[in-house]
Amino acid sequence: MAESAAVARSPIAPTPPVAIENGWEVSARRSAADLRITDCTPLTKLLVLGPEGGVFGIPFGRAERDEEGVLVAGSGPGEWTLFGPPGTGEGLAGRAAAALPPDEGAVFDLTHGRAAMRITGPAAAAALARVCAVDLAGEVSPDGAAFRSSVAKVVTDVVRDDIDSQLSYLMHCDRAFGQYLFDALLDAGAEFDIEVDGFAGPGI
Amino acid sequence: MMLLPCPHCGPRNSSEFRYVGEGTARPDPGTATIGVWRDYLYTRSNPAGWTTENWFHRAGCRRYFTVERHTVSNAVRASHRPAAQARTTSDPEGLSAGTERGPDAGPG
Repeated sequence: MAESAAVARSPIAPTPPVAIENGWEVSARRSAADLRITDCTPLTKLLVLGPEGGVFGIPFGRAERDEEGVLVAGSGPGEWTLFGPPGTGEGLAGRAAAALPPDEGAVFDLTHGRAAMRITGPAAAAALARVCAVDLAGEVSPDGAAFRSSVAKVVTDVVRDDIDSQLSYLMHCDRAFGQYLFDALLDAGAEFDIEVDGFAGPGI
Repeated sequence: MMLLPCPHCGPRNSSEFRYVGEGTARPDPGTATIGVWRDYLYTRSNPAGWTTENWFHRAGCRRYFTVERHTVSNAVRASHRPAAQARTTSDPEGLSAGTERGPDAGPG
């Protein structure tokens, strides 16, 4: 019997056609709709705990990309989430640990414990506002804003991460709530003709 | 809808928080009588007015903080991180955090 490579699966059922991307089963559907939602669970997701305000130079509430394109989000006081391309967890964790003061803080790989998704398009804020009470206006939540709040009653980390000047929100929540949150966002975006867009690497 | 001003995240819907309870001073276990412990555990002032209470932002920063809230109107006039507020020379670690009471609060 031939050996087959292990395939990682997102908690969100992929919309056909299905493909394998960096060892993950993903949707290969491509959409050019104005409002799109993408399952970004294959992204490497690290939680870093450290002294408040003392790591990465990024405060709580802000997100920035570092020189290697990793998105670092200040997701809580003394808490950061790092988003990297799929399969980069080990190297990224080493870099994050090196940034911490000696014997202080911790790094956790949450890649398989969290579901991530991205909603992109001019109507992304209007759709997200259907299920999230935080003010998403540009003056309050500009590009690079990061916060944790209730989205469709699920505790969700949200990062406004515009792509090519297109409004975009990257979200992640507990894996168990992934399919529910994805469906809730599809429902919220239905009036804006939201469509599923498949994941394509590096995805961040 | 009731808004609570989290000292970390700003104003948020109260559904994001968990009510912890009135701020009560923990008695000294070495000297407290059974009656004092009973009062500490079970007796609350529950005023119809200003009170100081602790909340937990479970859907946000996941931190505890202290709020001065009017129990009739739900108006909030102050919120702060308990440890930072309560640090004094006699309590450098802020261990009695959340023990301050509003000026109109009842006895207890």
